[in-house]
Amino acid sequence: MSGLRHTLHVLALAARNGFLDYSVTFTWKTWLSGWYLRVLAQVVFFALMGRLLGSTEQVHYLLLGNAVMLAALGSLFAVAGTTWERRAGTLPLLVASPSSPVVVFVGRSTWALVDGFLSSLGALFVVAPLFDLGLPWPRALLIPLLVALVGASAYALGTFLGGLVLRAMSTRNVVANVAWTTILAIGGVNVPVDFYPRPVEWFAHALPLTHGLQAIRDLVGGAPLATLLPNVALELAVGTAWLALALLTFDRLAEGGRRDGSIEFGG
Amino acid sequence: MRGFLAGFGLELRIVRAAPDALMPLLTAPLFALVFLAIVRQSGRADLEADALLAPVLMTLWWVALQHAGHLITGDRWQALLEPVIATPTSLATILLGRIAALMGLGLLSFGEVLIVGKLVFGVGVPFEHPVEMALTLLATAFATAGTAIAFAAVFVMTRNAYTFTNSLSFPLYLLGGVFVPVAFLPGWIQPVSSGVFMSWSADLLRATVKRDGIGDFWSRLAMIVALGAASFLLGRLILFHVLARMRAKGELATV
Repeated sequence: MSGLRHTLHVLALAARNGFLDYSVTFTWKTWLSGWYLRVLAQVVFFALMGRLLGSTEQVHYLLLGNAVMLAALGSLFAVAGTTWERRAGTLPLLVASPSSPVVVFVGRSTWALVDGFLSSLGALFVVAPLFDLGLPWPRALLIPLLVALVGASAYALGTFLGGLVLRAMSTRNVVANVAWTTILAIGGVNVPVDFYPRPVEWFAHALPLTHGLQAIRDLVGGAPLATLLPNVALELAVGTAWLALALLTFDRLAEGGRRDGSIEFGG
Repeated sequence: MRGFLAGFGLELRIVRAAPDALMPLLTAPLFALVFLAIVRQSGRADLEADALLAPVLMTLWWVALQHAGHLITGDRWQALLEPVIATPTSLATILLGRIAALMGLGLLSFGEVLIVGKLVFGVGVPFEHPVEMALTLLATAFATAGTAIAFAAVFVMTRNAYTFTNSLSFPLYLLGGVFVPVAFLPGWIQPVSSGVFMSWSADLLRATVKRDGIGDFWSRLAMIVALGAASFLLGRLILFHVLARMRAKGELATV
């Protein structure tokens, strides 16, 4: 089997494993009646804040930002997802196998990517009409593509952070939650990025979602499609940078336990 | 009382060993920043205090859901439930002590948001009615603890309680009007909100930072306590039946 085919095969197997794990947590029924209800409530919560502020413009700004935020939020579940392997006691086997652990882990949490994508679009297309946010047709067809880009970019960050928490598993939920609330706070979700001091703004530009969300705002706002390209390219660049960082560090972090004997067969 | 104190001390030791429990104390200041940024950017200085109070209520609810709600399930997984039930002290007393410790930690978020508000935006909470505010916070912590007992009893019956705990945060923030008053919700859902203790807590807490007098303070406070007590009694009732069933079927431990 060629190198690329082998990598894709491992990715597919890992993804299948992750989806099987996820299906233990959620069935379609519990997803729709539980998680989907939560994401709808989350977007409505922020949209109503706009109404409290007495501004339709704010309603739409908050609604769109928080709906797209769900793609990043879902993808960041990958942080906790990576630790499942260690908790299951299978990490030593992965480290000992000829495949690179990072390939397995990139595939392992793709359920989070899909979850975030569906949550985001499911919330946006349901809540937007309730608050008279127009999603112009046929431009709206591009929204799923851009949401997928935002999700993928956040997934790369999630995989990188997942590598870090493999060495301190009890921090997995803390890291994931601090990561998404930081993006929520400074990533242009609720207020423009330039609301904050310049160093915070710079940091926001290095985070997933910031540029992709701006592209989606421009798309919905009717900007010429060509003007979206710089933000799309920047979102792609940010995601690629986080993925590169994950690829560079993950195996070292995962295999670090070989030196100090901290990877175990027991969860 | 010894059982209560033992539970209180035990929970503090567990929290010290598991940083996950402190997560709401990390996210509360971030939510305060988010809310303050939104109202500041819109030029609504009159909502700044509300923006600081909302994360405190969110933190209490989060602690109740994510930690207090899983106390019995966690004990069951670790095979601790059997020895705890075998002791002469009632399980409810120990649980109450443990949840009181968690609520105490949750209330620390109040200090956090004050610091963040002052340091980052130079705003604070006007203590127009400090005694009423303290009583409202205590009543809210009590009601949240009561609800947590109910959660703990219900979650132990479910195959995967995390499905619910991850899903119940924002629906309650919305129904409880933690930031946006319930009056902004559609009319058909407002009666549901009035059955949620958090909606009374949020309204009353916001009233304590306004210069105007607080109308019907005691009856509104009593409503929070009553709704919390009702949840507590319901939780105890469910717990009684659940434990009886687990005893009969030998399911006190799942390992």
